[in-house]
Amino acid sequence: MADDAGKQSPPSLEEFSKRLDAARGDNADAEKPRAGTASSMGRAFRVASELLAALFVGAILGLGLDTLIGSRPWFLLAGIAFGFAAGVLNVSRAMKQMGKPSDGG
Amino acid sequence: MIDFRAAGGPMEQFEILPIVPIRIGGIDLSFTNSALWMLIGVAAIALFFFFATRRRALVPGRTQSVAEVLHEFISDLVRDTIGTEGRKFFPYVFTLFIFILIANLFGLFPSIPGLPHELHTFTTTSHVIVTLGLAMTTITIVVAYGVWKHGWKFLKLFAPSGLPLWLMFILVPIEIISFLSRPLSLAIRLFANMLAGHIILKLFAGFVISLLGAGGVVMALSIAPFAGAVAVMLLEFLVAALQAYVFAILTCIYLSDAAHAGDH
Repeated sequence: MADDAGKQSPPSLEEFSKRLDAARGDNADAEKPRAGTASSMGRAFRVASELLAALFVGAILGLGLDTLIGSRPWFLLAGIAFGFAAGVLNVSRAMKQMGKPSDGG
Repeated sequence: MIDFRAAGGPMEQFEILPIVPIRIGGIDLSFTNSALWMLIGVAAIALFFFFATRRRALVPGRTQSVAEVLHEFISDLVRDTIGTEGRKFFPYVFTLFIFILIANLFGLFPSIPGLPHELHTFTTTSHVIVTLGLAMTTITIVVAYGVWKHGWKFLKLFAPSGLPLWLMFILVPIEIISFLSRPLSLAIRLFANMLAGHIILKLFAGFVISLLGAGGVVMALSIAPFAGAVAVMLLEFLVAALQAYVFAILTCIYLSDAAHAGDH
């Protein structure tokens, strides 16, 4: 197999990748019906963890800054606000990725 | 009569128990049941791939086919998300995927009755420190590769181009928090899925035992939680594979971000 690939010239490789893409396109169609309840649960878990993680990181960063400077609770509050914004950004990005056919999770 | 204490609570299965206690300079480095099951998983993977690749036939046998399908699956995933540049990350993503998959699946094996508690089935991925370790490895590779490839331009990841300066003060912290939350969200997702699934499984199994222990007509009711446990078990197989896949694909997406950080 490896010898065959070595002998082939670039145009035929291109042709091969075209065929490969076509075959993969068929595969994607075949896999679509499988995206049922389990996938939606995975999606829910993903969205929830993205939102929570960002909120958590924002709060921790804020709290850390507060303890460094001694200005509790102002940076904590700002951190929570920024964390929430980052969470929403994460979720919107995750949803965008889920729209692509290559990602089922 | 069934010993209820032996049945344990739903959280008992996550207890870390030392098998070979080791202490070095006040740090507990014991060989635990978690380490044991990681070792079992890695040994099983190594054995499987040793036998699968031993013959290297042109027309693959059954084991070789499985290995080839797995290889092709991850190979396609890496190429589709990162591009041809992602070729060098293939070994890492493949290792990550197989390790998580096997750790998740091995955790679903029932414990062999009569074994000491230390040797009971243990899901290594149900502990946040393990999944966080894996996630931090991923993010370390992302940052190291991004800085190595783009230098200071890697920081452009945090500053979308074409923005007015005043918006930067709001957007840059948000982007930084969003980036820092990635390993956490990776870790939490895997660990929470495993933890929740195993607790539900154990709860259903616990209901079966309590109903059987009640005796009389009530015993017949135990069929309901038993059916539930079977259903959850089947779902858990799917979740085990799905979470390994999600971890792998998100690793690829983050690596692709690092690879193309300076492009926009």
